[in-house]
Amino acid sequence: MAKEVTLDCMGEACPVPLIKTENALKKLALGDVLVVQIDHSCAMKNVPEWARKEGHNVEIEEVDDGEWEVFIEKTK
Amino acid sequence: MDIKNNKFYQMWFKNAWTYVAGAVLLSLFQIVTLATTNDPWGVSGPFTNWGAWLYRAIGGSVDKWYYFSSKGAQATLAGGFLKDPGSIRNLGVIVGALLAALLASQFKFKKIKSLKQVVAAILGGLLMGYGARIAAGCNIGALYSGIASLSLSGWVFAVFLFLGAMVGSKLLVKYFM
Amino acid sequence: MAESSTSIRTSSRARTGTKKKKANQLPFGVILFTGMIAFGIYLATISAKLALFWILGGCFGFILQKSRFCFTASMRDPYLTGSTSVTRAVLIAFAVTTIGFTAIKYGAYIKGLPIPGQGYIAPISLATVVGAFMFGIGMVIAGGCASGTLMRVGEGFGMQILSLFFFVIGSLWGAHDYGWWKLNFMITGKKIFLPDILGWGGAVAVQLLVIAVLYIAADKWENRKLNADEND
Repeated sequence: MAKEVTLDCMGEACPVPLIKTENALKKLALGDVLVVQIDHSCAMKNVPEWARKEGHNVEIEEVDDGEWEVFIEKTK
Repeated sequence: MDIKNNKFYQMWFKNAWTYVAGAVLLSLFQIVTLATTNDPWGVSGPFTNWGAWLYRAIGGSVDKWYYFSSKGAQATLAGGFLKDPGSIRNLGVIVGALLAALLASQFKFKKIKSLKQVVAAILGGLLMGYGARIAAGCNIGALYSGIASLSLSGWVFAVFLFLGAMVGSKLLVKYFM
Repeated sequence: MAESSTSIRTSSRARTGTKKKKANQLPFGVILFTGMIAFGIYLATISAKLALFWILGGCFGFILQKSRFCFTASMRDPYLTGSTSVTRAVLIAFAVTTIGFTAIKYGAYIKGLPIPGQGYIAPISLATVVGAFMFGIGMVIAGGCASGTLMRVGEGFGMQILSLFFFVIGSLWGAHDYGWWKLNFMITGKKIFLPDILGWGGAVAVQLLVIAVLYIAADKWENRKLNADEND
């Protein structure tokens, strides 16, 4: 059963959201979804970019002014 | 008036631009800067003036310092923030970024989260300030403008900037995450 | 982005119903823009130069924020995350700006006019080396370089407001010690304007070649990591 894990990266400075995402994703099983919560404008670009490059399914949604949630489905 | 769904608004104001688009546009404005102001873009120079003004405000004086000894430097200090082009430009960068965030409805005030961030900001800021002074510029003045001006100093700066960044990355992961 | 039934996303806010209505900062943006114009006009009454610098600064800030352009990332990511997309963009910026700058400088040169911007040809000495190294460490720790810090202050990052304040203090400290560095190192440093050594055409060609080589290397580096992961 695919699980969903939330990673709170609010208020983190560059490039902490990306590093935390990489580490968190390693611990997930195939098919799990990592939800990264960010409020950093750089991260809303570099996190999806990295995850897509790694081959995962990525979607990003702006949930509030200056706040995003990046949904990463581990596919590899 | 449904602005948020307007394609033009989405493309130019809502969505992030690509890095390459940024590179090309920054280049354009760098070139315009050189053509119209006779000098390339620089950021860290005015910070010494800001420091001098703050220092004066608490009773200090930089008038005997070598760095501020030239007539030009003295005149800039005497003129104050509003009359210093470099300071105005830096203020413009801040406000321009704020404008971009507001027009995309993405502005949010992000409070400092931890003591680690405080230490990192203080240490990082001091290192950048001091480093930029003795290297005669920052990532814009010494690196970007230096290289684009065909100055070898820009490349030397680049090499050691890169090395410093590696050390900084190690420190960041070890102590500041 | 289309809402598909196979979408993996159901934002936590949508589920809890706390999703805020968006696009409500636009009016503030418009008000700020009007303020910027007004300030520009005011500056113009003092001098056209000030108004020009205000406009240029505003444009730089806007572009930096929209593209999330970050020199810090260009230097840090190849090492920290293996990504070189920003690095390559910075190289493109170097290349394009080099061409533009050289066109301007050469144009002045052949007309016998003073070449603009030559003040940025800095002497190379230990001060350059130490300063760049310090700056490199500082910018990664602080989460932003000089332009990046200004951009993030505009975006509302409290951490960068603090960083800026200490950047200013560090600058003053550096200015204080500047005389010492100048006397002991900078004064023996050489200012090397590449066209003086390689000629105008040669300098541009060599520089663009170096940039191209770095670009290819950066591209390979990013894909190398990907290939390494695939081979695990």
